[in-house]
Amino acid sequence: MIDDHPMIIEGYKNTLLGENQKEYQIKIDIASNCDDAYANIVKSSEGNEYDMLFVDIKLPPSSDGSITSGEDLAKHAKELLPKAKIIILTMHREDHRIHNILKNINPAGFLIKSDLTSSELLLAFNNIIKGKAYYSATVNDHFRKMMTNKFSLDEKNLKILYHLSRGVKTKNLPNYVSLSLSAIEKRKNQIKEMFSIAKADDQMLLEEARKRGFI
Amino acid sequence: MLRSFFFIIIIISSLILNSCYNNPDKAIESEELKLNLIQSYIEIAKDRQNSEAERRTNLEKAYSICSTLNNNTSKINKIQNISFIYYELKDFDKYKDMNERALRLSNSINDSLNMARSYAYLGIYYRPTKLDVAYENFYEADKIYSSLDYQKHDPKKYAFDHGKVLADLAQILRKTKDYSKSESLTIKAIQSFELAENGLYIPMCYTNLGNLAKSLGHYDEAIEYQQKAIDYAKGTKKEILQTLISLNNMGTVYKSQQKYKEAKESYNKALSYTDFLSKNPKRHALYLDNLAYVNFLSNDTSDIPDLFYKALKIRDSIDDKNGIATNTLHLAEYYQSIEKDSIARMYAKQSRDISLQLHNNVELLQAYRLLSKISDSEEGLEYANNYIALNDSLVKEERAFRDKFARIRFETDEIKDENLKMTRENEILIIAILGLTALFLLGYIIFRQQQSNKELLFAQTQQESNEEIYRLLLNQQIKLEEGRQMEQQRMSEELHDGVLGRLFGVRLSLDGINQRANDGFTETRNKYIDELKAIEKEIRLISHDLGAETLPSDVAYIDAVENLIGDLCEAHKIKFDFHNDEDIDWESVDDQKKVNLFRILQESMQNIFKHAHADLIKINFEYADGNINLTILDDGIGFVSSKVKKGIGLKNITSRVSQMNGEVQFISDNNSGTTVSVSVPIDTVRVEEIY
Repeated sequence: MIDDHPMIIEGYKNTLLGENQKEYQIKIDIASNCDDAYANIVKSSEGNEYDMLFVDIKLPPSSDGSITSGEDLAKHAKELLPKAKIIILTMHREDHRIHNILKNINPAGFLIKSDLTSSELLLAFNNIIKGKAYYSATVNDHFRKMMTNKFSLDEKNLKILYHLSRGVKTKNLPNYVSLSLSAIEKRKNQIKEMFSIAKADDQMLLEEARKRGFI
Repeated sequence: MLRSFFFIIIIISSLILNSCYNNPDKAIESEELKLNLIQSYIEIAKDRQNSEAERRTNLEKAYSICSTLNNNTSKINKIQNISFIYYELKDFDKYKDMNERALRLSNSINDSLNMARSYAYLGIYYRPTKLDVAYENFYEADKIYSSLDYQKHDPKKYAFDHGKVLADLAQILRKTKDYSKSESLTIKAIQSFELAENGLYIPMCYTNLGNLAKSLGHYDEAIEYQQKAIDYAKGTKKEILQTLISLNNMGTVYKSQQKYKEAKESYNKALSYTDFLSKNPKRHALYLDNLAYVNFLSNDTSDIPDLFYKALKIRDSIDDKNGIATNTLHLAEYYQSIEKDSIARMYAKQSRDISLQLHNNVELLQAYRLLSKISDSEEGLEYANNYIALNDSLVKEERAFRDKFARIRFETDEIKDENLKMTRENEILIIAILGLTALFLLGYIIFRQQQSNKELLFAQTQQESNEEIYRLLLNQQIKLEEGRQMEQQRMSEELHDGVLGRLFGVRLSLDGINQRANDGFTETRNKYIDELKAIEKEIRLISHDLGAETLPSDVAYIDAVENLIGDLCEAHKIKFDFHNDEDIDWESVDDQKKVNLFRILQESMQNIFKHAHADLIKINFEYADGNINLTILDDGIGFVSSKVKKGIGLKNITSRVSQMNGEVQFISDNNSGTTVSVSVPIDTVRVEEIY
């Protein structure tokens, strides 16, 4: 279990080690930062591999700066511990982050902390042990939104929309998205066309994107 | 007579009628009538058939009307005309009086020609009595004539008058034996008369030249000049008179040369004009006497002393005292030559007495000389002394005259010099004043320039400091914004990662424990756990609200703008609609431009508040083709663009926009509101200020 809040780990433990859970013998290692977590992952990959990893996204970065978040950590874990089930537990519920995590890690479980209750955690735990993926309602909602769109936006387009929604100027977007200004303009126009609001301004574009669940 | 009276009555009555109207045309008419009236009086006065008293009264009438004339030039002319008649009437004092008046008038209106004329006329008045004063007047006249501007006055018009003045001067100088000056003046006089194409006085001038030549001992020349005088007089009215004068003069010249034969011929020739001489007994007597004297000198005593007595008889009959003085002297000389001293003495004394009476010094001198010779030794000595004394006094007098004339010339020259000096001094003064004025003006201009430079500099520094103040304000706002954002960010993160995490942990733990416990309160606890979840959600929302506001710093400018608009509109209770194009990257826009746009907005809004009576203001920042377009629109009463003189507000806006290389348009029609649209390029470098 990787989380920088001992209170949260306590919560997980209380849930998993509670009286409702008697089927499995659970041995838990805990880490509160990327360094410790990575060390544990490496250690376990040498023998006695972990079956399951609880990963928080927001974590104190590793001392050498190579691992900055749970996302990076999960990527390493997938390489080092290919059999281990990875469960992402995060406070972030923004669509693009959910999208990114799903795309980059494709975790066995994806739980949004704010949605989570003890029983849901148990349910997820049991499902995942049995090899069934479990996603929080918010994540499923995201999936649903993505499915209902006749089209999908690639990661770059989503980033553009995301940064625009934060109030970044189109002009400054090249600093956030690795694209030239003209390419960004072109993409913006494409998105507008997809939303069938070809001549709308940025504000209308963002409104529409919000409606369609891209932001 | 009757006719002229009738004429005068008509004129007087019209004058009276005229005075009833106060009309400039009438005034001119009445002036003309007055002139006519004066002329008619003068005509009567001129008429020699009228009695002297009548002529005088007419002259007085003419003069009294003259003094009411407005036109000074015609006044002067009339006064001069009046003076001539007084001269004719031999009232010389009146003549002098009139001409003095004319001179004063001419002086007052700076009429040079009439001044010269008046001087000449006064010279004529003094000519017989006071040579020096006469000289002075003629000299003044000559001076004025000589200095007249050829461009202003046609020299032909006054050449005749000038010639007369010159001739008079020459005569006076000859009388005082200043022969060379007299000669040159006479020649000048002849030139003037020739220029005037009036030869009336040319023979007289040649006569004068002949007399001068004789006095200088140039006898041949003298004869020549006299001959010329006769030639010039040929065909004129004065032909005979001039011929007689010249013949007499020639005789005198020959006499002086002791060419008695030629002298006799001349006198005889003169005496042959019997018709003329019978009317001129004085001349007749003169020629007879002269012929007799030449006969006596040439020892041709055949008809002597009869000829002397013949002349004396004529002279006695016409009481020609000068003639008698000469005549008796000649007789005295004759009797002395034939040694009849007592008779000679008697005639000499008679001559002396008459000469004394006449102040004829030339003859008196001769009389004394003769008497000293023919009297007893004692008496003779006294006469000799008288002779010497008189001779000395005459020489002295001549010298005194010459000195006096020289002084007159010198004094006028001195005055001229002084005038020249004064004009030069005046010039220097004027130049100095002009120079000082120019210097003062220059100083003033420089001062003003400096002042306006200072003002410009002040305006510049003011603008700079304005900008600086704004920049500081903006920076402060940005810093404030940054600080606020940092704090918000920090709080957001703290809430999200710390508080929320821990809350979640607690809830999860509670939930986990709750699952295990079975004390009948599970449901109640679940309710509180749900409540915790709700709190979490709320905190997350707060955190999100705080954290999501990661506004870029350029929003601060727009904030400032919006604050301005909001505050102003609130204060004036006007609705507003503000829109900012997000494509404008305010961060990269030059501060100067931001300040200017800010001020333009401020200025425009002030105008709207003051004049437009608007209910709504729409303000729009738009980005297009590298330009920021600011549009300020109101729904007020508007104005007629052509009628409104550009106020300082509009001027300020225009100057600010041109400073930014932009364009501005004020569009308005009555009752349809006003649109101010400003377009400013973002990229252009600020125009260098030209101070």
